[in-house]
Amino acid sequence: MELLKQTGWLLWKDLLLELRRRESIFAMFFFGTLLLFVFHFAFEIPPDKAAEMAPGLLWLAFLFTGTLGLTQLFQAERENHCLEALLLCPLDRAALFLAKVSFNLLLMLMVELVVFPLFWVLFNLTSWAILPSLILVAFLGTVGFCVLGTLFSAVTLKARARELLLPLILFPLMIPIILATIRGMEILLRTGQFDEAFSWLRLLLGFDVIFLTAGFLIFEWVIEA
Amino acid sequence: MRVVVRNLSKAYGFLWALKKMDLELRPGECVALLGPNGAGKTTLLKLLSALLYPTTGEILIDGQELRQGSSPLRSSIGLLSSNGHLYEGLTLKENLRFFNSLYAKERSPREIEETLGAVGLERWADDYVASLSSGMKCRLAIAKWLLIEPRLLLLDEPYGVLDGSGVDLLEAYLDRLRQSGGIVMMATHHVSRILTICSRALILHRGSLIFDEPRQDPWESFQRTFAEFLPRGEKWNS
Repeated sequence: MELLKQTGWLLWKDLLLELRRRESIFAMFFFGTLLLFVFHFAFEIPPDKAAEMAPGLLWLAFLFTGTLGLTQLFQAERENHCLEALLLCPLDRAALFLAKVSFNLLLMLMVELVVFPLFWVLFNLTSWAILPSLILVAFLGTVGFCVLGTLFSAVTLKARARELLLPLILFPLMIPIILATIRGMEILLRTGQFDEAFSWLRLLLGFDVIFLTAGFLIFEWVIEA
Repeated sequence: MRVVVRNLSKAYGFLWALKKMDLELRPGECVALLGPNGAGKTTLLKLLSALLYPTTGEILIDGQELRQGSSPLRSSIGLLSSNGHLYEGLTLKENLRFFNSLYAKERSPREIEETLGAVGLERWADDYVASLSSGMKCRLAIAKWLLIEPRLLLLDEPYGVLDGSGVDLLEAYLDRLRQSGGIVMMATHHVSRILTICSRALILHRGSLIFDEPRQDPWESFQRTFAEFLPRGEKWNS
């Protein structure tokens, strides 16, 4: 119960700061939308190939946009040594992890809320029946990205040139999540069958649970190192 | 509260910032932590507040070892630093509410306002911390610890940014904390000021504790030891 309370307070603080500064969210909106337009006009994908190529391009946009958000994730804690202030508190370090994952997830979902419909229109997708399944796959992929991203954002927190280091460490580890999400979405768009994409969905769910549990358990050592 | 430090050392890579320190802090003590730059004062304060972990040795608080993580002992330790440790994008009230919640202290809006009044910041209660001067931020940090009520308060060079009334305010708080059995340890270069309120002085030099005595009047041993770190001809109370 105390863990949830602390998570709530930390999330409240992050949302309030973001609401006032609006730095991350605007940059992410702009960058995500821009990337989709660039991909659309650069590749000119024929409608019969859209199902195969569009998910990859969409996730490339999410990956870059999300990384932009991750570099700013602990910005408030870097100013005025606020991370020290948090570590001084009798605070469950897992609460800090959960709050940052939730905050990052909320940011990503808000960006996806704009970018996803744009993706649907730009790539002439019409399979409305599979939309809920597509959203489910995208959601699980986003959760995986946020969990792993938050963990490695904390790992590189005190590193010099962390903006360069973060993607270099994060992207190779993100491959299973990105691959499972893209393959799951591609199968759904191509076949329209949820059953065929189910194995990728299971894999995604497995990764999410493993990384969330691992992050929950090891965050204390990561953040205090 | 009793703090016992045993064989405490801290190394940053190959550099020993603190070497084999033994120390005991007793209830009601106000300890002046002195020494030249790079002596290891901030390292000692960070070790005592569990922001750093010792390379060797241990710190015991009331017999319990201070460990990494969310130890309940943390709720009895405060660190007032010149860095502020406050969120610039939150208002004064929000900062106090936020940090008190993390210490599981339920404070009413009225209590928060009264504390801001006590440190002379009630007019700025709804302003962002970013708009405050360094001295006002330090007053806000005092308000934060007034509400959280730690039993061991560590201070890292607080005099530099406070004005006259701010210093009086801080010293009145430290005095109350001591009277109630709390422990105060302050690292500072304002030697003459701290010597008026401390009950004991420690001098660190290159990571070693070279002086540890209760206050005396006159205090020749202190003058002799401290004079070694001053420029030629300068006195510590000048």
